[in-house]
Amino acid sequence: MSERYEGQTYYELLEVNPQAGSSEIYNAYQRARTTYSPSSPALYSMFTPQEAQELMALIEEAYQTLSHQARRREYDVKLGLVAPKAQPTSNYAPTARSQANARKEDPWLSPVKVVPRNKEELPKGFARTKFSVYEIKPDIESEIAAAEECDGQFLQKIRLYKGVTLDQLSEEIRVVKSTLVALEANDVEALPVAVFVRGFVVQTARVLGLNEKLISAAYMKFFKAKKGER
Amino acid sequence: MTNNVTTVDFSSLRGKIEPGSTIIAVGGGKGGIGKSFVSSSLSIFLAQLGFSTLAVDLDLGGANLHTSLGLPLSEKGINEFIVNGNLELQDVMQDTLWPNLKLISGSSETLDTANIDESQRSRIMSSIFRHKCDFTILDLSAGTHQSTLDFFLMAHHKVVVFTPEPSSVENAYRFLKASFFRKLRRYEYQLQLKTQIDELLSNRALHKIKSPADLIRVLIQREPVLGLKLKSILTEMNFEIVLNQARTRQEVDMGLALQSVCNKYFGFPCEFLGGLEYDNAVWQSLRQKNHLLMANRQSHLYAQLMSIARKIAKPKQVKAAA
Repeated sequence: MSERYEGQTYYELLEVNPQAGSSEIYNAYQRARTTYSPSSPALYSMFTPQEAQELMALIEEAYQTLSHQARRREYDVKLGLVAPKAQPTSNYAPTARSQANARKEDPWLSPVKVVPRNKEELPKGFARTKFSVYEIKPDIESEIAAAEECDGQFLQKIRLYKGVTLDQLSEEIRVVKSTLVALEANDVEALPVAVFVRGFVVQTARVLGLNEKLISAAYMKFFKAKKGER
Repeated sequence: MTNNVTTVDFSSLRGKIEPGSTIIAVGGGKGGIGKSFVSSSLSIFLAQLGFSTLAVDLDLGGANLHTSLGLPLSEKGINEFIVNGNLELQDVMQDTLWPNLKLISGSSETLDTANIDESQRSRIMSSIFRHKCDFTILDLSAGTHQSTLDFFLMAHHKVVVFTPEPSSVENAYRFLKASFFRKLRRYEYQLQLKTQIDELLSNRALHKIKSPADLIRVLIQREPVLGLKLKSILTEMNFEIVLNQARTRQEVDMGLALQSVCNKYFGFPCEFLGGLEYDNAVWQSLRQKNHLLMANRQSHLYAQLMSIARKIAKPKQVKAAA
Protein backbone atom coordinates (compact mmCIF):
# COMPACT_ATOMS: atom_id res chain seq x y z
CA MET A 1 0.00 0.00 0.00
CA SER A 2 2.55 2.53 1.05
CA GLU A 3 6.07 2.36 -0.26
CA ARG A 4 6.99 4.88 2.36
CA TYR A 5 7.60 2.26 4.97
CA GLU A 6 8.71 -0.53 2.71
CA GLY A 7 11.87 -2.14 3.93
CA GLN A 8 10.83 -1.53 7.52
CA THR A 9 10.20 -4.61 9.55
CA TYR A 10 7.10 -5.02 11.67
CA TYR A 11 9.34 -4.51 14.68
CA GLU A 12 10.53 -1.17 13.35
CA LEU A 13 6.98 -0.11 12.60
CA LEU A 14 5.91 -0.86 16.16
CA GLU A 15 9.19 0.55 17.50
CA VAL A 16 10.00 -2.48 19.60
CA ASN A 17 13.07 -4.65 19.46
CA PRO A 18 12.80 -8.14 17.96
CA GLN A 19 13.25 -9.75 21.37
CA ALA A 20 10.24 -7.93 22.80
CA GLY A 21 7.77 -10.01 24.77
CA SER A 22 4.09 -10.15 23.96
CA SER A 23 3.07 -7.62 26.59
CA GLU A 24 5.65 -5.18 25.29
CA ILE A 25 4.27 -5.60 21.79
CA TYR A 26 0.76 -5.11 23.06
CA ASN A 27 1.76 -1.91 24.86
CA ALA A 28 3.57 -0.59 21.80
CA TYR A 29 0.48 -1.29 19.71
CA GLN A 30 -1.81 0.50 22.14
CA ARG A 31 0.59 3.46 22.21
CA ALA A 32 0.64 3.60 18.42
CA ARG A 33 -3.15 3.56 18.39
CA THR A 34 -3.34 6.69 20.52
CA THR A 35 -0.43 8.34 18.73
CA TYR A 36 -1.87 7.94 15.23
CA SER A 37 -5.55 8.36 16.05
CA PRO A 38 -7.08 11.30 14.19
CA SER A 39 -7.46 13.37 17.35
CA SER A 40 -3.86 12.92 18.50
CA PRO A 41 -2.22 16.25 19.32
CA ALA A 42 1.23 14.85 18.59
CA LEU A 43 0.57 14.58 14.84
CA TYR A 44 -0.11 18.24 14.38
CA SER A 45 1.75 19.69 11.36
CA MET A 46 3.73 16.47 10.77
CA PHE A 47 1.30 13.89 9.38
CA THR A 48 -2.03 14.50 7.70
CA PRO A 49 -4.92 12.39 9.03
CA GLN A 50 -4.78 10.36 5.83
CA GLU A 51 -1.07 9.62 6.23
CA ALA A 52 -1.68 8.66 9.82
CA GLN A 53 -4.44 6.32 8.71
CA GLU A 54 -2.17 4.62 6.18
CA LEU A 55 0.47 4.21 8.84
CA MET A 56 -2.07 2.85 11.30
CA ALA A 57 -3.19 0.23 8.79
CA LEU A 58 0.41 -0.96 8.54
CA ILE A 59 0.79 -0.99 12.29
CA GLU A 60 -2.42 -3.01 12.54
CA GLU A 61 -0.97 -5.48 10.06
CA ALA A 62 2.27 -5.65 12.04
CA TYR A 63 0.42 -6.27 15.26
CA GLN A 64 -1.69 -9.04 13.76
CA THR A 65 1.46 -10.91 12.87
CA LEU A 66 3.51 -10.18 15.95
CA SER A 67 0.72 -10.88 18.43
CA HIS A 68 0.19 -14.35 17.00
CA GLN A 69 2.76 -16.84 18.18
CA ALA A 70 2.89 -19.08 15.14
CA ARG A 71 2.71 -16.25 12.65
CA ARG A 72 5.38 -14.30 14.48
CA ARG A 73 7.65 -17.33 14.35
CA GLU A 74 7.06 -17.73 10.67
CA TYR A 75 7.84 -14.05 10.16
CA ASP A 76 11.02 -14.28 12.26
CA VAL A 77 12.15 -17.18 10.10
CA LYS A 78 11.52 -15.06 7.03
CA LEU A 79 13.59 -12.23 8.48
CA GLY A 80 16.32 -14.68 9.36
CA LEU A 81 16.06 -13.94 13.06
CA VAL A 82 15.53 -17.57 14.05
CA ALA A 83 16.34 -20.84 12.35
CA PRO A 84 13.39 -22.74 10.93
CA LYS A 85 12.45 -25.61 13.17
CA ALA A 86 9.81 -28.28 12.94
CA GLN A 87 6.71 -27.13 14.77
CA PRO A 88 5.71 -29.42 17.60
CA THR A 89 2.48 -31.12 16.65
CA SER A 90 -0.57 -30.35 18.68
CA ASN A 91 -1.44 -32.45 21.67
CA TYR A 92 -5.10 -32.27 20.90
CA ALA A 93 -6.61 -35.38 19.37
CA PRO A 94 -10.29 -35.52 18.58
CA THR A 95 -12.14 -37.18 21.41
CA ALA A 96 -15.24 -39.27 21.04
CA ARG A 97 -17.16 -36.69 22.99
CA SER A 98 -16.14 -33.72 20.91
CA GLN A 99 -16.96 -35.57 17.71
CA ALA A 100 -20.33 -36.52 19.06
CA ASN A 101 -20.90 -32.91 20.05
CA ALA A 102 -19.99 -31.74 16.60
CA ARG A 103 -22.50 -34.10 15.01
CA LYS A 104 -25.37 -33.48 17.35
CA GLU A 105 -27.87 -31.24 15.78
CA ASP A 106 -29.61 -28.64 17.78
CA PRO A 107 -32.08 -25.97 16.75
CA TRP A 108 -30.61 -23.03 18.49
CA LEU A 109 -31.61 -19.77 16.97
CA SER A 110 -34.54 -17.77 18.08
CA PRO A 111 -35.94 -15.09 15.77
CA VAL A 112 -33.70 -12.08 15.85
CA LYS A 113 -34.60 -9.62 18.55
CA VAL A 114 -33.53 -6.06 17.88
CA VAL A 115 -33.04 -4.03 21.00
CA PRO A 116 -34.20 -0.51 20.26
CA ARG A 117 -31.84 2.03 21.82
CA ASN A 118 -34.02 5.04 21.37
CA LYS A 119 -37.65 5.63 20.82
CA GLU A 120 -37.42 7.10 17.34
CA GLU A 121 -39.58 5.14 14.92
CA LEU A 122 -37.91 3.46 11.99
CA PRO A 123 -39.58 3.03 8.62
CA LYS A 124 -41.08 -0.37 8.06
CA GLY A 125 -38.58 -2.95 6.94
CA PHE A 126 -35.69 -1.43 8.89
CA ALA A 127 -34.15 -2.32 12.22
CA ARG A 128 -31.26 -1.06 14.23
CA THR A 129 -28.37 -2.06 16.40
CA LYS A 130 -26.58 0.26 18.78
CA PHE A 131 -24.38 1.43 15.94
CA SER A 132 -26.36 1.09 12.77
CA VAL A 133 -29.69 1.06 11.03
CA TYR A 134 -30.07 -1.73 8.51
CA GLU A 135 -32.61 -2.94 6.05
CA ILE A 136 -34.18 -6.23 7.05
CA LYS A 137 -33.54 -8.80 4.35
CA PRO A 138 -35.94 -11.73 4.76
CA ASP A 139 -33.63 -14.24 3.12
CA ILE A 140 -30.79 -13.54 5.55
CA GLU A 141 -33.15 -13.38 8.52
CA SER A 142 -34.55 -16.77 7.63
CA GLU A 143 -31.02 -18.07 7.14
CA ILE A 144 -30.19 -16.89 10.64
CA ALA A 145 -33.35 -18.46 11.98
CA ALA A 146 -32.77 -21.71 10.13
CA ALA A 147 -29.03 -21.99 10.47
CA GLU A 148 -27.86 -24.98 12.39
CA GLU A 149 -24.21 -24.16 12.77
CA CYS A 150 -22.52 -21.05 13.98
CA ASP A 151 -18.91 -20.45 13.15
CA GLY A 152 -16.88 -17.26 12.93
CA GLN A 153 -17.71 -16.69 9.29
CA PHE A 154 -21.38 -16.82 10.06
CA LEU A 155 -20.92 -14.27 12.83
CA GLN A 156 -19.08 -12.09 10.36
CA LYS A 157 -21.87 -12.43 7.85
CA ILE A 158 -24.43 -11.30 10.42
CA ARG A 159 -22.19 -8.45 11.49
CA LEU A 160 -21.76 -7.20 7.95
CA TYR A 161 -25.46 -7.57 7.26
CA LYS A 162 -26.21 -5.42 10.27
CA GLY A 163 -23.61 -2.86 9.29
CA VAL A 164 -21.50 -2.93 12.44
CA THR A 165 -17.78 -2.35 11.86
CA LEU A 166 -15.02 -4.28 13.57
CA ASP A 167 -13.79 -1.05 15.12
CA GLN A 168 -17.16 -0.34 16.70
CA LEU A 169 -17.45 -3.87 17.96
CA SER A 170 -13.91 -3.87 19.30
CA GLU A 171 -14.44 -0.55 21.06
CA GLU A 172 -17.80 -1.61 22.51
CA ILE A 173 -16.90 -5.00 23.89
CA ARG A 174 -13.30 -4.07 24.74
CA VAL A 175 -11.72 -6.87 22.75
CA VAL A 176 -8.74 -6.07 20.52
CA LYS A 177 -9.43 -6.10 16.83
CA SER A 178 -6.96 -8.83 15.97
CA THR A 179 -8.78 -11.24 18.28
CA LEU A 180 -12.07 -10.47 16.58
CA VAL A 181 -10.45 -10.97 13.18
CA ALA A 182 -9.19 -14.35 14.33
CA LEU A 183 -12.62 -15.21 15.68
CA GLU A 184 -14.27 -14.43 12.38
CA ALA A 185 -11.59 -16.24 10.41
CA ASN A 186 -12.09 -19.40 12.50
CA ASP A 187 -8.44 -19.20 13.47
CA VAL A 188 -8.88 -21.00 16.77
CA GLU A 189 -5.15 -21.26 17.37
CA ALA A 190 -4.98 -17.50 17.75
CA LEU A 191 -7.85 -17.40 20.22
CA PRO A 192 -7.54 -17.72 23.98
CA VAL A 193 -9.04 -20.55 26.01
CA ALA A 194 -12.69 -21.46 25.60
CA VAL A 195 -14.08 -19.57 28.57
CA PHE A 196 -12.84 -16.25 27.17
CA VAL A 197 -13.98 -17.02 23.65
CA ARG A 198 -17.45 -17.79 24.96
CA GLY A 199 -17.47 -14.36 26.57
CA PHE A 200 -16.49 -12.69 23.30
CA VAL A 201 -19.26 -14.47 21.42
CA VAL A 202 -21.89 -13.61 24.04
CA GLN A 203 -20.88 -9.96 23.87
CA THR A 204 -20.84 -9.95 20.08
CA ALA A 205 -24.30 -11.54 20.00
CA ARG A 206 -25.55 -8.90 22.39
CA VAL A 207 -24.26 -6.07 20.19
CA LEU A 208 -25.75 -7.71 17.11
CA GLY A 209 -29.09 -8.26 18.83
CA LEU A 210 -29.00 -12.05 18.65
CA ASN A 211 -30.03 -14.57 21.24
CA GLU A 212 -26.77 -14.75 23.15
CA LYS A 213 -27.40 -18.06 24.93
CA LEU A 214 -28.20 -20.03 21.83
CA ILE A 215 -25.52 -18.41 19.70
CA SER A 216 -22.77 -18.93 22.25
CA ALA A 217 -23.79 -22.54 22.91
CA ALA A 218 -23.74 -23.28 19.19
CA TYR A 219 -20.50 -21.46 18.63
CA MET A 220 -18.76 -23.23 21.49
CA LYS A 221 -19.71 -26.55 19.96
CA PHE A 222 -18.06 -25.50 16.76
CA PHE A 223 -15.07 -24.12 18.67
CA LYS A 224 -14.47 -27.23 20.69
CA ALA A 225 -14.85 -29.42 17.67
CA LYS A 226 -12.40 -27.35 15.69
CA LYS A 227 -9.92 -27.19 18.55
CA GLY A 228 -10.38 -30.89 19.11
CA GLU A 229 -9.69 -31.91 15.55
CA ARG A 230 -6.21 -30.49 15.65
CA MET B 1 42.18 36.40 19.66
CA THR B 2 40.78 38.76 17.07
CA ASN B 3 37.39 38.90 15.52
CA ASN B 4 38.27 37.62 12.05
CA VAL B 5 38.37 34.00 12.98
CA THR B 6 36.52 32.97 9.84
CA THR B 7 39.66 33.48 7.76
CA VAL B 8 41.24 30.62 9.68
CA ASP B 9 39.99 27.26 8.53
CA PHE B 10 38.84 25.40 11.57
CA SER B 11 37.37 22.47 9.72
CA SER B 12 40.60 20.47 9.71
CA LEU B 13 41.32 21.42 13.30
CA ARG B 14 37.85 20.51 14.45
CA GLY B 15 38.48 16.89 13.75
CA LYS B 16 41.51 16.88 16.00
CA ILE B 17 40.19 18.99 18.83
CA GLU B 18 38.31 16.96 21.35
CA PRO B 19 35.31 18.77 22.77
CA GLY B 20 36.11 20.12 26.22
CA SER B 21 32.82 19.02 27.68
CA THR B 22 29.52 17.33 26.99
CA ILE B 23 27.37 20.04 25.48
CA ILE B 24 23.64 20.13 26.09
CA ALA B 25 21.51 22.56 24.09
CA VAL B 26 17.96 23.34 25.14
CA GLY B 27 15.76 24.70 22.35
CA GLY B 28 12.16 24.51 21.34
CA GLY B 29 10.97 27.08 18.87
CA LYS B 30 8.25 28.74 20.86
CA GLY B 31 8.76 31.28 23.63
CA GLY B 32 7.48 30.80 27.16
CA ILE B 33 7.57 27.02 27.16
CA GLY B 34 10.18 26.75 29.87
CA LYS B 35 13.50 26.49 28.02
CA SER B 36 15.22 28.61 30.65
CA PHE B 37 13.53 26.68 33.44
CA VAL B 38 14.63 23.34 31.99
CA SER B 39 18.18 24.48 31.32
CA SER B 40 18.62 26.13 34.71
CA SER B 41 17.21 23.07 36.49
CA LEU B 42 19.41 20.71 34.53
CA SER B 43 22.50 22.81 35.31
CA ILE B 44 21.70 22.81 38.99
CA PHE B 45 21.10 19.08 39.13
CA LEU B 46 24.23 18.23 37.18
CA ALA B 47 26.23 20.54 39.45
CA GLN B 48 24.68 18.88 42.48
CA LEU B 49 25.64 15.47 41.11
CA GLY B 50 29.22 16.70 41.41
CA PHE B 51 29.96 17.70 37.83
CA SER B 52 31.59 21.00 37.02
CA THR B 53 28.96 22.68 34.93
CA LEU B 54 28.76 25.83 32.85
CA ALA B 55 25.42 27.35 31.90
CA VAL B 56 25.50 29.73 28.94
CA ASP B 57 22.64 32.03 28.09
CA LEU B 58 22.58 32.18 24.30
CA ASP B 59 19.22 33.87 24.09
CA LEU B 60 21.07 36.94 22.94
CA GLY B 61 18.15 39.30 22.54
CA GLY B 62 16.13 38.20 25.56
CA ALA B 63 18.41 36.81 28.18
CA ASN B 64 16.91 35.67 31.44
CA LEU B 65 18.77 32.56 32.55
CA HIS B 66 20.27 34.49 35.45
CA THR B 67 16.76 35.32 36.69
CA SER B 68 15.82 31.64 36.55
CA LEU B 69 18.89 30.87 38.64
CA GLY B 70 17.94 33.52 41.17
CA LEU B 71 20.88 35.80 40.42
CA PRO B 72 20.99 39.55 39.95
CA LEU B 73 21.99 41.18 36.68
CA SER B 74 25.72 40.88 36.15
CA GLU B 75 28.11 43.38 34.63
CA LYS B 76 29.81 40.90 32.38
CA GLY B 77 28.15 38.42 30.11
CA ILE B 78 28.17 36.89 26.65
CA ASN B 79 27.57 40.28 25.08
CA GLU B 80 30.83 41.68 26.46
CA PHE B 81 32.53 38.59 25.11
CA ILE B 82 31.09 39.28 21.67
CA VAL B 83 31.97 42.95 21.66
CA ASN B 84 35.45 42.61 23.10
CA GLY B 85 37.59 40.22 21.08
CA ASN B 86 40.27 40.09 23.75
CA LEU B 87 38.10 38.42 26.36
CA GLU B 88 38.03 34.69 27.02
CA LEU B 89 35.05 32.75 28.30
CA GLN B 90 36.68 32.61 31.75
CA ASP B 91 36.60 36.40 31.92
CA VAL B 92 32.84 36.63 31.64
CA MET B 93 31.84 33.75 33.90
CA GLN B 94 30.15 34.45 37.17
CA ASP B 95 29.66 32.35 40.28
CA THR B 96 26.28 31.06 41.29
CA LEU B 97 24.76 29.81 44.53
CA TRP B 98 26.00 26.31 43.64
CA PRO B 99 29.75 25.77 43.93
CA ASN B 100 30.07 23.56 40.84
CA LEU B 101 27.96 25.76 38.61
CA LYS B 102 29.24 28.76 36.66
CA LEU B 103 27.09 31.03 34.57
CA ILE B 104 27.69 33.15 31.52
CA SER B 105 24.69 35.38 31.48
CA GLY B 106 23.34 37.20 28.48
CA SER B 107 22.49 40.30 30.37
CA SER B 108 23.95 43.54 29.20
CA GLU B 109 23.47 47.18 28.59
CA THR B 110 24.45 46.83 24.95
CA LEU B 111 21.30 46.57 22.93
CA ASP B 112 22.41 45.47 19.49
CA THR B 113 23.81 42.03 20.23
CA ALA B 114 20.79 39.97 19.23
CA ASN B 115 22.13 39.99 15.69
CA ILE B 116 25.62 38.59 15.49
CA ASP B 117 27.52 37.90 12.31
CA GLU B 118 29.06 34.65 11.24
CA SER B 119 32.54 35.37 12.59
CA GLN B 120 31.18 36.26 15.99
CA ARG B 121 29.05 33.15 15.96
CA SER B 122 31.92 30.85 15.15
CA ARG B 123 34.09 32.50 17.80
CA ILE B 124 31.45 31.80 20.43
CA MET B 125 31.00 28.26 19.19
CA SER B 126 34.65 27.34 19.17
CA SER B 127 35.20 28.89 22.61
CA ILE B 128 32.33 26.89 24.04
CA PHE B 129 33.53 23.81 22.20
CA ARG B 130 37.02 24.03 23.69
CA HIS B 131 36.00 25.09 27.17
CA LYS B 132 36.98 22.41 29.67
CA CYS B 133 34.47 21.21 32.22
CA ASP B 134 32.05 18.29 32.56
CA PHE B 135 28.85 19.74 31.13
CA THR B 136 28.05 22.90 29.21
CA ILE B 137 24.39 23.84 28.98
CA LEU B 138 23.21 26.21 26.30
CA ASP B 139 19.94 28.02 26.80
CA LEU B 140 18.74 28.94 23.32
CA SER B 141 16.37 31.60 22.08
CA ALA B 142 12.94 31.06 20.58
CA GLY B 143 12.54 30.98 16.82
CA THR B 144 14.61 29.36 14.10
CA HIS B 145 17.33 31.92 13.57
CA GLN B 146 20.48 30.53 11.96
CA SER B 147 22.68 31.10 14.99
CA THR B 148 20.14 29.38 17.24
CA LEU B 149 20.14 26.38 14.90
CA ASP B 150 23.95 26.29 14.79
CA PHE B 151 24.22 26.40 18.58
CA PHE B 152 21.63 23.65 18.76
CA LEU B 153 23.41 21.45 16.23
CA MET B 154 26.83 21.75 17.88
CA ALA B 155 25.54 20.07 21.05
CA HIS B 156 25.87 16.41 21.95
CA HIS B 157 22.47 16.40 23.59
CA LYS B 158 19.91 18.26 21.52
CA VAL B 159 17.09 18.72 23.96
CA VAL B 160 13.88 20.14 22.56
CA VAL B 161 11.16 21.34 24.91
CA PHE B 162 7.51 20.75 24.07
CA THR B 163 4.41 21.70 25.96
CA PRO B 164 1.09 19.97 25.22
CA GLU B 165 -0.42 23.00 23.44
CA PRO B 166 -0.75 22.71 19.65
CA SER B 167 1.08 25.99 19.07
CA SER B 168 4.10 24.73 20.99
CA VAL B 169 3.99 21.36 19.25
CA GLU B 170 3.88 23.05 15.86
CA ASN B 171 6.76 25.41 16.66
CA ALA B 172 8.91 22.68 18.15
CA TYR B 173 8.40 20.53 15.05
CA ARG B 174 9.21 23.51 12.88
CA PHE B 175 12.38 24.02 14.90
CA LEU B 176 13.38 20.36 14.45
CA LYS B 177 12.68 20.49 10.71
CA ALA B 178 14.75 23.66 10.39
CA SER B 179 17.63 22.03 12.30
CA PHE B 180 17.40 18.97 10.12
CA PHE B 181 17.64 20.94 6.91
CA ARG B 182 20.42 23.15 8.26
CA LYS B 183 22.47 20.05 8.95
CA LEU B 184 21.50 18.52 5.61
CA ARG B 185 22.60 21.66 3.77
CA ARG B 186 25.92 21.59 5.55
CA TYR B 187 26.75 18.05 4.51
CA GLU B 188 25.25 17.88 1.05
CA TYR B 189 28.13 19.99 -0.31
CA GLN B 190 30.75 17.79 1.27
CA LEU B 191 29.16 14.64 -0.08
CA GLN B 192 28.38 16.27 -3.45
CA LEU B 193 24.75 15.43 -3.20
CA LYS B 194 23.44 18.96 -3.59
CA THR B 195 22.16 18.63 -7.14
CA GLN B 196 20.49 15.33 -6.36
CA ILE B 197 18.82 16.65 -3.23
CA ASP B 198 17.71 19.85 -4.92
CA GLU B 199 16.19 17.85 -7.74
CA LEU B 200 14.37 15.56 -5.31
CA LEU B 201 13.09 18.44 -3.24
CA SER B 202 11.79 20.36 -6.23
CA ASN B 203 9.87 17.30 -7.44
CA ARG B 204 8.53 16.16 -4.11
CA ALA B 205 5.17 15.02 -5.42
CA LEU B 206 6.74 12.96 -8.19
CA HIS B 207 9.03 11.09 -5.82
CA LYS B 208 6.37 10.92 -3.09
CA ILE B 209 8.57 12.76 -0.61
CA LYS B 210 6.57 13.94 2.35
CA SER B 211 9.13 13.83 5.11
CA PRO B 212 12.90 13.81 5.68
CA ALA B 213 12.72 10.04 6.12
CA ASP B 214 11.28 9.76 2.58
CA LEU B 215 13.99 12.02 1.20
CA ILE B 216 16.78 9.91 2.67
CA ARG B 217 15.08 6.70 1.55
CA VAL B 218 14.83 7.85 -2.08
CA LEU B 219 18.35 9.22 -1.94
CA ILE B 220 19.74 5.89 -0.76
CA GLN B 221 17.99 4.15 -3.66
CA ARG B 222 19.77 6.44 -6.09
CA GLU B 223 23.14 6.84 -4.42
CA PRO B 224 23.55 3.96 -2.00
CA VAL B 225 27.06 4.73 -0.73
CA LEU B 226 26.80 8.47 -0.25
CA GLY B 227 23.17 8.23 0.81
CA LEU B 228 23.97 5.80 3.62
CA LYS B 229 26.86 7.98 4.69
CA LEU B 230 24.58 11.00 4.85
CA LYS B 231 22.05 8.94 6.78
CA SER B 232 24.59 7.94 9.38
CA ILE B 233 25.66 11.58 9.77
CA LEU B 234 22.07 12.70 10.18
CA THR B 235 21.28 9.88 12.59
CA GLU B 236 23.75 11.43 15.02
CA MET B 237 21.22 14.19 15.46
CA ASN B 238 18.97 12.04 17.69
CA PHE B 239 16.81 14.76 19.21
CA GLU B 240 15.85 14.39 22.84
CA ILE B 241 12.37 15.39 23.88
CA VAL B 242 11.26 16.94 27.15
CA LEU B 243 7.56 17.54 27.67
CA ASN B 244 7.03 20.47 29.99
CA GLN B 245 3.90 21.76 31.75
CA ALA B 246 1.93 18.54 31.52
CA ARG B 247 -1.25 18.86 33.53
CA THR B 248 -2.50 15.28 33.47
CA ARG B 249 -1.07 11.80 33.29
CA GLN B 250 -2.25 11.46 29.68
CA GLU B 251 -0.35 14.57 28.77
CA VAL B 252 2.85 13.09 30.17
CA ASP B 253 2.25 10.05 27.96
CA MET B 254 2.07 12.38 25.00
CA GLY B 255 5.86 12.52 25.19
CA LEU B 256 6.01 8.96 23.88
CA ALA B 257 3.67 9.91 21.06
CA LEU B 258 5.94 12.83 20.13
CA GLN B 259 8.91 10.48 20.17
CA SER B 260 7.17 8.05 17.85
CA VAL B 261 6.07 10.78 15.43
CA CYS B 262 9.64 12.17 15.30
CA ASN B 263 11.05 8.70 14.69
CA LYS B 264 8.69 8.07 11.81
CA TYR B 265 9.01 11.54 10.34
CA PHE B 266 12.78 12.00 10.48
CA GLY B 267 13.70 8.35 10.13
CA PHE B 268 16.21 8.29 12.97
CA PRO B 269 15.68 7.48 16.63
CA CYS B 270 14.65 10.32 18.92
CA GLU B 271 14.42 9.87 22.64
CA PHE B 272 11.79 10.97 25.13
CA LEU B 273 13.78 12.06 28.17
CA GLY B 274 10.82 12.64 30.43
CA GLY B 275 7.77 14.69 31.25
CA LEU B 276 7.57 17.55 33.70
CA GLU B 277 4.36 18.29 35.53
CA TYR B 278 2.88 21.72 35.63
CA ASP B 279 3.51 23.19 39.04
CA ASN B 280 2.40 26.54 40.37
CA ALA B 281 5.38 26.54 42.69
CA VAL B 282 7.63 27.28 39.69
CA TRP B 283 5.84 30.49 39.02
CA GLN B 284 5.74 31.43 42.68
CA SER B 285 9.42 30.83 43.26
CA LEU B 286 10.26 32.72 40.08
CA ARG B 287 8.36 35.70 41.41
CA GLN B 288 10.47 35.63 44.52
CA LYS B 289 13.54 35.38 42.26
CA ASN B 290 14.44 32.00 43.75
CA HIS B 291 14.93 28.79 41.93
CA LEU B 292 12.29 26.19 42.70
CA LEU B 293 14.91 23.62 43.59
CA MET B 294 16.18 25.78 46.46
CA ALA B 295 13.22 25.13 48.68
CA ASN B 296 10.85 22.62 47.20
CA ARG B 297 12.30 19.13 47.25
CA GLN B 298 9.16 17.16 47.91
CA SER B 299 7.38 17.81 44.64
CA HIS B 300 6.88 15.47 41.70
CA LEU B 301 8.62 18.00 39.56
CA TYR B 302 11.81 17.66 41.59
CA ALA B 303 11.88 13.91 41.03
CA GLN B 304 11.07 14.27 37.33
CA LEU B 305 13.86 16.79 36.78
CA MET B 306 16.27 14.61 38.70
CA SER B 307 15.46 11.62 36.54
CA ILE B 308 16.14 13.62 33.36
CA ALA B 309 19.44 14.92 34.73
CA ARG B 310 20.46 11.39 35.71
CA LYS B 311 19.68 10.09 32.22
CA ILE B 312 21.99 12.71 30.74
CA ALA B 313 24.70 12.22 33.35
CA LYS B 314 24.70 8.43 33.26
CA PRO B 315 27.30 7.84 30.51
CA LYS B 316 29.69 10.14 32.36
CA GLN B 317 29.11 8.50 35.71
CA VAL B 318 29.74 5.09 34.22
CA LYS B 319 32.93 6.36 32.63
CA ALA B 320 34.10 7.97 35.86
CA ALA B 321 33.45 4.78 37.80
CA ALA B 322 35.45 2.69 35.35
